[in-house]
Amino acid sequence: MFEARSIQAKIGLQLLVTLLAIPYLLPLVAMVQGSLAGKGWGNFEAVLAVPGLWQFFLSSVIISASVIAIVYVVTMLASFGFAKLHIRNKEVYFWLLLACLTLPEVVLLAPLFATAISLGVYDTYWSVILPLAALQVPFAVLLARNFIDGIPNELFEAARVDGANSFRGFIYLVIPLTRPIAAAILIFTLIGAWNNYLLPLVFLQDPAKQTITLLPSYFIGQFSNDQTKVLASAVLTAIPEVLAYLFLQRLFERGLAAGAIK
Amino acid sequence: MVATTLQTPPTRQVPSDEPALKRRPHRLSPPGLPWILPALVLSVGLIYYCIGYTGVISTWDWDGISPNPEQVGLENYLKMVNSPVFWGAIWHTIVFFVVTFTAQTVLGLLFAVLLHSQVKLAVVYKVIVFVPVVLAPAIMAPVFRQFYGADGQFNWILEHIGLGAITQPWLGQSSTALWVLMAVAVWQWTGLTFVLYFAAMGQIDQSVLEAARIDGAGNIRTIVSIIWPGVRGTTVALAMLGAIGALKTFDLPWLITVGGPNGATEFLGTIIYRQTIPNYHVGYGAAVSIVLLVLALAMAILLQVRGREKVTVD
Repeated sequence: MFEARSIQAKIGLQLLVTLLAIPYLLPLVAMVQGSLAGKGWGNFEAVLAVPGLWQFFLSSVIISASVIAIVYVVTMLASFGFAKLHIRNKEVYFWLLLACLTLPEVVLLAPLFATAISLGVYDTYWSVILPLAALQVPFAVLLARNFIDGIPNELFEAARVDGANSFRGFIYLVIPLTRPIAAAILIFTLIGAWNNYLLPLVFLQDPAKQTITLLPSYFIGQFSNDQTKVLASAVLTAIPEVLAYLFLQRLFERGLAAGAIK
Repeated sequence: MVATTLQTPPTRQVPSDEPALKRRPHRLSPPGLPWILPALVLSVGLIYYCIGYTGVISTWDWDGISPNPEQVGLENYLKMVNSPVFWGAIWHTIVFFVVTFTAQTVLGLLFAVLLHSQVKLAVVYKVIVFVPVVLAPAIMAPVFRQFYGADGQFNWILEHIGLGAITQPWLGQSSTALWVLMAVAVWQWTGLTFVLYFAAMGQIDQSVLEAARIDGAGNIRTIVSIIWPGVRGTTVALAMLGAIGALKTFDLPWLITVGGPNGATEFLGTIIYRQTIPNYHVGYGAAVSIVLLVLALAMAILLQVRGREKVTVD
C-alpha cells in the first residue's frame, strides 16, 4: 500500500512499524520477567507443584470442547435450514436469533443464577456450557448462513434428483463444503469459551471444576499475593494459548477475515 | 468438487414423489423448521427466557434465594437513576468506547497499511500485535496490575526515556485508572482490528491504487481517498463490536481495579456483578441489566442504520 522507493523510505517504514509494535510486546516481556524475579525457575516449580493445577486445564478443555461441539452441530443444522429449506416466516426467526448478538452475557446473570440453583445445575459444567453455547450460536449462524447461501441451489437439486433427501444432502454436501466457515466458527467459539471469565466465576465454586481463567485469583489466595508466582501461573496459562495461536495462525486469520468480509 | 458433482448426470431412478414436487414448485425446498429448532430452543429459548425473567426480577426486592421476593414496582429503576455510581458507569462507558475505538482504528489501520507495504519480517509483527487477542483478559490482569503499579515496569520505562517527572501510581488514583484500562483494552484488541482491516484491504482493487499513484496521489492521499472509504464496511462492523464491547466491559475493571479507586472505573457490568452476587441485591442488578440490554440494542440498531445510510449516500 505504502510506496517506498528509496532505501531511506524503506528503513523509515521498518522503523515506524517496529516502534508501533514495541508497546504490544512490553507487557508480555514484563510478564515473563516478573515470573522469573526472585527465585527464578523456582517460581514455576512452586506453581507446578500445586496439587490440582491440571484440573483447571482439564475443566477448560472439557467446557471448550463441549461448547464447540454443541455450537457446531446446532449452527450447521440451523444455517442449512435458513439458507436452503422452506420455512414460513423464516426472516422473523432469523432476526429473533440475531437480536441475541448484541447481548452482553452479564445481563443474563440474575436469571441464570436463580434458574441454575432451582434446577440443581449450579456448580456443574452445564451451568457454564449451556449459556456459553447459547451466546455463541447467533454469530455462528450468521456466518454459516451467509456461507451456505453462496452454495448454488443446483447442487442440492441435483442431489435430490439423485434420490438424496435433505439429511443426506446435509451430510454429503453441506458438511464438506462448509469447512472454511467451520474453521472460523471453531476459532471464534474457542476464544470465547476458553477466555470466558464471568460465567465460571459465578457458577463454578468447586476448585476441581474451575477453569484456567480463575487460576490467577486462585493463586493469589494460594501464595498470599506473592506476585512472582502469580505471574508464573499467568505465563503457564498463556503458553497453551500462544502455542495454539501459532499452530493455527493461518486458520485464525482466514477465519476472522471470512467473518469480516461478508 | 462443485464441477464434478454438477456434471454427474442423474443416472439413478427418479424418486416416485418427483412429479408431485414439480407440480407444486413452492414445495421444491422441503420444510426446514425442524432444522432450525435446536438453535431456536437453545439460543432464543434460553436468552429470551432469561431476558423476560430479568425484567420480572427487576421489579422485585430480592436477595436471589428467599422464596417470597417483595414486589417493589419501579423502585429499583428509581434508585438507579438517582445513583451517581450508575451515571458514572454510563460516562465511563462512553469515554471508554470513544477513546478505545478511535485508538484501535488508527493503530489497526496503520498496521494494516504498513504490513501491506514492503516491510521485512511482516509475520513477526503480525504475531506480536495479534497475540494479545487470544490471551484471556483474566490471565493478563495480574500482569497489568504490576506493569502499571507505582513501582512497575511502566514507570521504570518512563524514567529511562527521560520522562521520570510524570511517573505516578497510575492505578491508585481516580484521574488515571480509567486511562490504564483503556490502554489495556487497546493493547488487547488492536490485533483484531488490524487483521480485519488487513483482510479488507486485500479486497481493494490494485488497479485503482495504481491509477491514483499515476495521477500523483501520495501515500497519505491514497489512505484518505481510497483505502479509508474502501474499508468502510469493516469500520462500521468494528464500531458495533466496539460499542457492545464497551457496554459489556467487565473482566478488565473487575480484575485490575475492582471498579475503583473511588468508583473511577465502575462500568455497568461491574455494578451488575457486584449487586447481584456479592451484595445479594439481585433485583437492582436486574434493573441495571435491563438498561444495559436496551442500550446495547439501541446502539446496534443505530450503527446499522447509520452504516447503511452512509453507504447509499456515497
